[in-house]
Amino acid sequence: MKKGLVTALSVMMVAALAAGCSGNSGQENAANEGKAGSGSSGKKTELTFWGDWGGEGQKQFETMVNAFNKSQDKIHVKYVLQQDMITKFLTAATNGGAPDVLFWDRWRTSLYAPKNVLHPVDEYLTRDGISKDDFYSESLTELSHDNKLYGLPLTVDARALFYNKKLLDEAGLQPPATWDELEQAAAKLTKWNGDKLEVAGFSMGDLGLFNMYLQQAGGQMLTEDGQTNFNNEQGKQVLEFWDRLMNKEKVYKVGFELGLGEGQDAFVTGKVAMLYSGPWMLSTYNKYGKDLDYGIVPPPAGPGGDKGSVMGGFGLVIPEGSKHHDEAWEFIKWWTANKDNALLWAKTSLNLPGFKPSMEDPFFQDDPQWKPFLDTLEFAKIRPAHPGYSVMETDALAPNLQLNQQNKQSIEDTLKKAQEQGDKMLKDNAVVK
Amino acid sequence: MASMRKVERHEARTAYVFITPTVLLFAVFTVIPVVMALYLSFTNYDVLSRNDWVGLENYRRLIDDSLLWKTFKNVFLYSIIFVPLNIIISLLLSMLLSRAWRGVKLFRTFYYLPTLTSAVAAATVWIWLLHPEFGLVNGLLSYVGITGPAWLSETSTAMLSIVMLTLWQSVGSNMIIYLAGLQGVPYYLYESARLDGANKWASFRFITWPQLRPTTFLVSTMAIIGALQLFDQAFVLTQGGPANVTKTPVYLIYQQGFNQLQMGYASAQAFVLAVAILIFSLINMRVSKAEESII
Repeated sequence: MKKGLVTALSVMMVAALAAGCSGNSGQENAANEGKAGSGSSGKKTELTFWGDWGGEGQKQFETMVNAFNKSQDKIHVKYVLQQDMITKFLTAATNGGAPDVLFWDRWRTSLYAPKNVLHPVDEYLTRDGISKDDFYSESLTELSHDNKLYGLPLTVDARALFYNKKLLDEAGLQPPATWDELEQAAAKLTKWNGDKLEVAGFSMGDLGLFNMYLQQAGGQMLTEDGQTNFNNEQGKQVLEFWDRLMNKEKVYKVGFELGLGEGQDAFVTGKVAMLYSGPWMLSTYNKYGKDLDYGIVPPPAGPGGDKGSVMGGFGLVIPEGSKHHDEAWEFIKWWTANKDNALLWAKTSLNLPGFKPSMEDPFFQDDPQWKPFLDTLEFAKIRPAHPGYSVMETDALAPNLQLNQQNKQSIEDTLKKAQEQGDKMLKDNAVVK
Repeated sequence: MASMRKVERHEARTAYVFITPTVLLFAVFTVIPVVMALYLSFTNYDVLSRNDWVGLENYRRLIDDSLLWKTFKNVFLYSIIFVPLNIIISLLLSMLLSRAWRGVKLFRTFYYLPTLTSAVAAATVWIWLLHPEFGLVNGLLSYVGITGPAWLSETSTAMLSIVMLTLWQSVGSNMIIYLAGLQGVPYYLYESARLDGANKWASFRFITWPQLRPTTFLVSTMAIIGALQLFDQAFVLTQGGPANVTKTPVYLIYQQGFNQLQMGYASAQAFVLAVAILIFSLINMRVSKAEESII
């Protein structure tokens, strides 16, 4: 009697555990059925598309997915929102539950591609006669590893200088084109009331932009052999420029923009006169900035006349674990390598598409908001493709820059320490084969 | 005698049946992962393609990982301020609210409320309160003529801000524990002390505080463990900055494992943290037992 009870309980528990673990195999079965169906009858192939854009972004993705589903009758794509996409992908990539298409922050490629979890697309490109010249070469480089291409760019972006037209007009200023002009303009636009900052002439809140300034000073973040390359004259020029802005002209106060949400954004409310920002902020500024009249120009050139900005953006990639590589490619090609569809995406999401021909459309050419970004993209460079780069930037470089900005460390020490700690982190986080 | 044994056996068997689900869950979700993590700390596991035995390599790398030691320094600094303040404030609150006066329940609820907010939501609101120019905190300070700092962005105040927020969030629940502890102090002790002419301070010093020792031990141990595992608030409020002064071990482990795909090394870091927590809990146990208990 009691034995029976124990057995019954154990059976129940084992069953519960088994049910908990069987999620993945279930998915696999479904996927296999889907494949078999597409081969024999006219049944559509089901593709899963993972992304981490919710809200407005989700609607934008679904617009594209629906358009694709209507355009043909062989493939049906479904967008699945994953809040913590990369973590989820980590487990999915190894146990067979991988999606068919992945929305991909391109800089991750150098970390993931060497682990063979992404499917190369070079052959598809050759087969379908897609020209690499139709994409910004920097964005393709960012999606490549070891001479293999792992997807196509969906968006491209770069930071340019946003300025508040009203404030500049009142001060009788033209948008700056060089560091000197930027410094003078920022000084004129700044308003202090005692020790309270009312209007910051120029935002210096994001020290992650060091890379961009370094390019403008004629430098590069890393050497060819993967060492830091900023403890030199160029790095010093950047920090001296920052020092003049922060301490001599006092155009900014540390923490000024922290925690101001979209509606209270310091640029929207006219509390910051100029800042570096990217096309991803256009919709926010247009939505909340009813009284905000702003213009955009490419980033001012450094002392030697060098121009610099950092290119970033997203791509679409096919996980190696997907069972529908060909169909996934059809979807990616439709979206990223077709003039009309890339344009539809651009208009839907207010992003610059990765496909160059679609930028010839009047939507981009006739709108003064887009022109400066298109100009900037001509010289913008991607972040170095080193798997330890982002750690080096956030854990070695940024902390030292912050100490320097708060006058707790000299320029020389800052560059020296950032170099020492940075080189160590690059070494520790390089891929070990 | 024989029937006695039968009953005992029956009881034992029933007991096993009742604890089986819990023990199974504990094994599956706690014991096995911990053993796995220990194993992984000796490998170069990256979730995706590698899982080779590397021996003590990860632990060797730990030794000159200056950032890891900095994160430990950060949480120790945090604990030194946070734990005593936590105990003092929650004890004071509970003594204040243990008497029956009008509206006491309302106050108990008010002090407990912050505990119910999610750490992330609370942190988001606090970012606003602590804004250097438009925040409420500096706004109040300016009435008395003080220019408040940029709390979250200055290296000297960032950790203090996190202490403030976590105190605000945790004293409520500790106050409840102390309230329960105070209920358990026998009233006759106070009575006889009063007969002996003890004043209020003396009865606190010689009755309340020693009687509450097990409660204090619980509260302080939980506070220490919580302090060493600080993550959400630092993640949302400051992202570990400025200049890494609020970066915590858990933050670093998360970053190493999920952003850099070095699960092996992250596991090794996690074990160092586990050992640290064990050591500090043992020290706390020693300190709490240093004096003889009263009953």
